Amino acid sequence: MQRRVAIVGYAQSEYQFNVPRTREDQVFDVVKAALRHAGILREEVDSVVTASSDFLDGRTISNVFLSMAVGAYQKDESKVEEDGTGALLYGLMRILAGTHDVVTIEAHTLASTINPHQILFYSLDPLFDRQVGLMNDIAAAAIQARMYMKKYSVPEEAVAMVSVKNLANAALNPLTHRKMPDLTVEEVLNSKLYYEPIRELMIPPITDGVCALILASEEKAREITDRPVWIEGVGTYQDSYLRDRDLTRFESLGKAAAKAYEMAGIKDPYREINVFEVSEKFAHEELMIYEALGLAREGHGQSLIEKGLTNREGEIPVNPSGGALSADPICATGLTRVIEAARQIRGDAGGCQIPYVERALAHGQFGICAQKNTVFILGGDQ
Amino acid sequence: MLRNAAIIGCGQTKHSGRRRDVNQAELVSEAVHNALEDAQVSLKEVNALVVGNMQGFGGVANPDLWIGDWIGAPGKPVLRIATGGTTGGSVGQGGFYSVMSGLYDIVVATAWEKHSDSKEAGATTGLLHVALANFFHAFGYGLSMKNLLATSAVGAAAGVAAYQARFYMHRSGCRSEHFDMVAAKARRNAARNKYAHLQWPNCTPEDIHKTELIVDPFRYGHVCPASDGASAIVIACEDIALKKCKRPAWVKGLASYSDEETQMQSESGGGVGVLDPSEQMGARLSAMKAYQQAGIKDPKQEIDVAEIYQPFPSQELLFSEKLGLFDEGKAWIAMEKGETEINGRMPCDPSGGVNATNAIGSSALQRILEAGLQVMGKAEDHQVPKKVRNAVAHGWGGVTNYITVTVLGETPAPRR
Repeated sequence: MQRRVAIVGYAQSEYQFNVPRTREDQVFDVVKAALRHAGILREEVDSVVTASSDFLDGRTISNVFLSMAVGAYQKDESKVEEDGTGALLYGLMRILAGTHDVVTIEAHTLASTINPHQILFYSLDPLFDRQVGLMNDIAAAAIQARMYMKKYSVPEEAVAMVSVKNLANAALNPLTHRKMPDLTVEEVLNSKLYYEPIRELMIPPITDGVCALILASEEKAREITDRPVWIEGVGTYQDSYLRDRDLTRFESLGKAAAKAYEMAGIKDPYREINVFEVSEKFAHEELMIYEALGLAREGHGQSLIEKGLTNREGEIPVNPSGGALSADPICATGLTRVIEAARQIRGDAGGCQIPYVERALAHGQFGICAQKNTVFILGGDQ
Repeated sequence: MLRNAAIIGCGQTKHSGRRRDVNQAELVSEAVHNALEDAQVSLKEVNALVVGNMQGFGGVANPDLWIGDWIGAPGKPVLRIATGGTTGGSVGQGGFYSVMSGLYDIVVATAWEKHSDSKEAGATTGLLHVALANFFHAFGYGLSMKNLLATSAVGAAAGVAAYQARFYMHRSGCRSEHFDMVAAKARRNAARNKYAHLQWPNCTPEDIHKTELIVDPFRYGHVCPASDGASAIVIACEDIALKKCKRPAWVKGLASYSDEETQMQSESGGGVGVLDPSEQMGARLSAMKAYQQAGIKDPKQEIDVAEIYQPFPSQELLFSEKLGLFDEGKAWIAMEKGETEINGRMPCDPSGGVNATNAIGSSALQRILEAGLQVMGKAEDHQVPKKVRNAVAHGWGGVTNYITVTVLGETPAPRR
């Protein structure tokens, strides 16, 4: 990279269902908290990049009334659609280009105002899939889960164990809203069936949430904080639309991870990365994510969860914050993972803290069956 | 800037009210294909794509996920940017930053709109459904219908523009007849641009004046059409640009500042500080920053051609002033003298501009594209008959508060 760039401050809202306040109010509070966390004033920010979606926000130009709330008044700003990791990438590019030094990144979705699964239905191919009306994101995920489980003989119990692990981890995170410390595999498998084999506790809850972070160039980061969290690598790729791809593997995530590892100089992610924060929008996806990230061979994701290697106490903890299964504020989910990873590196993760974290991976995804994936590698000041 | 970037290829589609021969994905691929062909770059060489439209008009949420397969996106990074009217400008700038960051060497930026899709029954129900859900959510915590209607009136650009035009007329002394002149010029210029929508050779201000009054001071002939169309540019880093292109259009300065939203109240009832939407602090700040990066001290002398986002004719006049091309309130006098004609001293919108062709998501990218064509000397019949050293491209959107300004030139920006 042309310059070193660091995360110098961040903030998240409490993730809840149906927050009775306006979008502007919620966004304002979180951005202000992020600036305060970094210890800087709005005046010191050069640029603001936000992530939200016109469809999910229910208005054209979803950022139109948020200029004031995100502190973008008379500042160079832009808005990325879809996942917040895209906004982070754009903010990073602005700093790397040498035109900006301090950038605010914000992402939000108030999913309780709508049915977010309906919106994903509107993103289907409008000429066929949408007209036929048989497909939606949960049905597509069910097809994917069935294909994956059949191909590699993955038992339903292994998938349920992902929910058990993440929802128990969530109990230690005060910000999430689905906490189940005593959940069992049987309870997951007995929860309401949506589309075979996808059950209620394998799908994220509908969540309102906002998160924001402050990004700075090396010179500025050193001025602002003693504990910068460096961006060491980034990779992002998109897959084909549903029909033209192998649903049993996340090819784009594999490529994104390989790119990010290369940039960060990582050869063995299993040993060189201490904690992973991933966006698993369905429980079975986490097993597939293990494989795409190179933590397990293809089809062997199940063994990591069965051996407990990805538990909080395991060798490669995944989602100690509870992950997307505990709170999924759609456009903010990926950025939340980045913030949770940064908290781990700074040792500020409270109850979720994993000891001795020097390097962390954060993953964001968007689209039906995780069509688009972004990976960030973060590191502390060695 | 730590790394230079330049446009090495431009592609757009033929624009019309209804492109029934293609669907949305095919429309986009037409522009991308044309751009790649123009740049002599294969899809394989492209490192990343930056895309965008205003999804509500096409009725498809997250359209890049579906359309991606038509433009070679699978296996590549795709960033989707959408900022309303300025979407195209933001997409173009996203493409420039992608190359300038050093992460990618060749990037395709494409933006599109297929307005006729939203005329189809059911196409816009997606967005309407969510908008209504939003209303009911807001009623839940006691928001008044007045505030909600204000926020939902954002789409009504003609109302805002009429209000803005009245302010401008009051301050500058220009009259509705001058809008006739701008619109007639746009139609005439469009007739020389084979991709444009509303083409009218030899259109006179009198022709425009005969059309009916829609919203004072605007007549039917003043208003932009709703077009189907797409545009795409290929952006490359310095060594590739020099190798692939005889005369690349270098990006010298770029900025996208916003002002406080005007008139319309937000849900929280804030944001009414700006009463005069023709003041355009965002445009002035963007222009200042972009010129500073480009090393341009006197835009009146150093800018040779301007592509201004003017869905309404008053906007060509007022924004050309905010971009520093004319003194405050004097643009209409320069226009009377013919300075803004294709062969004038300061040609404004030689392509016909948004007033003649408006595929909203694409419109602001088209300004960058057309400015690029002028620098590269490839604008064919609407090429300005003089040497183009610097060209400025402008985008406008939001609630009259979002602006993008991009300066392109025949040489890279001076190093800082």
